[in-house]
Amino acid sequence: MAGPPTAWQIARENDVLTTDKPLRWYGAVLVFSALGGCAANVRMEPPTIPTPLIEKMPVAVGLRIPTEFQHYVHEESVLGREEWTIDLGSSNAALFTQLFGFMFEELEVLSPDDDASTFDIDALIEPSIDAFEFSVPKQSRTDAFAVWIRYRLKVYDRDGDIVANWPVSAYGKSQTTAMAGSDALRRAAVLAMRDAAAVIILKLDAETGISGMGDTVVPAIAPAPAGGEQTEVQTTALEGAKDDAG
Amino acid sequence: MMRVDQQRTIRSGATVTIAGLAAVALSGCITSRVENSREGVTGIADGESVVIMARSYHLGNETEEKYISCVEDALARGSRGLRVIPHKQFVDSLFPWFEPRTAPAETKGLPKLMQRPGVAEKIADSGVRYIIWLDGDTDRVAGGGSLSCAAGPGGGGCFGFAWWQNDADYNAAVWDLKGLESAGNITADVSGTSFLPALVVPIPLIARARAAACKGLADQLRAFITDDSTA
Repeated sequence: MAGPPTAWQIARENDVLTTDKPLRWYGAVLVFSALGGCAANVRMEPPTIPTPLIEKMPVAVGLRIPTEFQHYVHEESVLGREEWTIDLGSSNAALFTQLFGFMFEELEVLSPDDDASTFDIDALIEPSIDAFEFSVPKQSRTDAFAVWIRYRLKVYDRDGDIVANWPVSAYGKSQTTAMAGSDALRRAAVLAMRDAAAVIILKLDAETGISGMGDTVVPAIAPAPAGGEQTEVQTTALEGAKDDAG
Repeated sequence: MMRVDQQRTIRSGATVTIAGLAAVALSGCITSRVENSREGVTGIADGESVVIMARSYHLGNETEEKYISCVEDALARGSRGLRVIPHKQFVDSLFPWFEPRTAPAETKGLPKLMQRPGVAEKIADSGVRYIIWLDGDTDRVAGGGSLSCAAGPGGGGCFGFAWWQNDADYNAAVWDLKGLESAGNITADVSGTSFLPALVVPIPLIARARAAACKGLADQLRAFITDDSTA
């Protein structure tokens, strides 16, 4: 357990510390170093989502993992000084493989070069990333990192015709107080992926009608035993907003 | 030998007492107000538990993770402590129904949620009787003064005076999963002013507003849930 903060820490944390000459010299060196630019590298590990409380759809689905999902790297200069490199690695591939494994009775994972027509599947899903954005505490003037990811899911039927082209916006936020900046950003990205998984579970069938593409027609989210509409779920106010609103 | 042990015990007891008095004397100023509004009868049986959740950040809530952990710990502590299920464990076991985007925003969504496959069974297995939704945060609302420190080969020191004020405003909404209704709300408004005078050595007089709001809210929540008006 950490002891009580020292007066120096308290003064520094509360922005009340000014420096006199000897410290100014060291300060100047630090500022000079800072002006040289900072760089942060964040590497994502494949996320794990919990087993969802849903019934699987009796559909044989093919998941075509695009090449970019194996090594997606986002680079951005924040406020013109901090260089951030976020390597999502294969985390997106892991997310969608896991998610669709939970949602469908059968899942075939296809590589980008595979010919889908040679597989015995009812539908093919091809995810991609439209946009990846993040904010650091300096930008938002909070103590939180935030990540926005906009995925796009293209769904093809047995004949190879596209039946849906659905953008999915996801958001995750994590505070820095309990962890280092790179860890907080990593966690915000994981939360955004988890948010995407929740949206896909709730809305995929309503947006794409994929449950009707198998031999047996069963809704993605089993309806409540009594009352209520089939695909509408009780959600927060934001859920009602359009997914592609950003 | 016994006498030496006793002397040591007395000395260490005196040290703790002096340290405690010093801590009290050297703390900043705190004003605190904790109130509740009851909407239903509460009570908790053996084997029943509570879970502390943060309102969704999708709705702009910024309740700190630290604050949630603090309330969890404070509620579970002591002989009258409640059984608290860690919120992450609860959310994972009910994925995706209590995610920031999908969690019910009002109690009227509970009946429908409980009818979804597996949800009522999972909640029954965990023994969760009450969900406590926290929102609010701690903000710096004012501050001033100046403090200068200097250090050289011969030593160093600080001179000046600084102060700052933190306001911790939190609300806890208690949902009863047995009656699928709201049991009531508890609010904690704490304002703390800290001072840092320095004459060579800085002397921090810290008002821990968030910690006070945590303890105040947890004490009130425990009394509210157990329906103990004497607590």
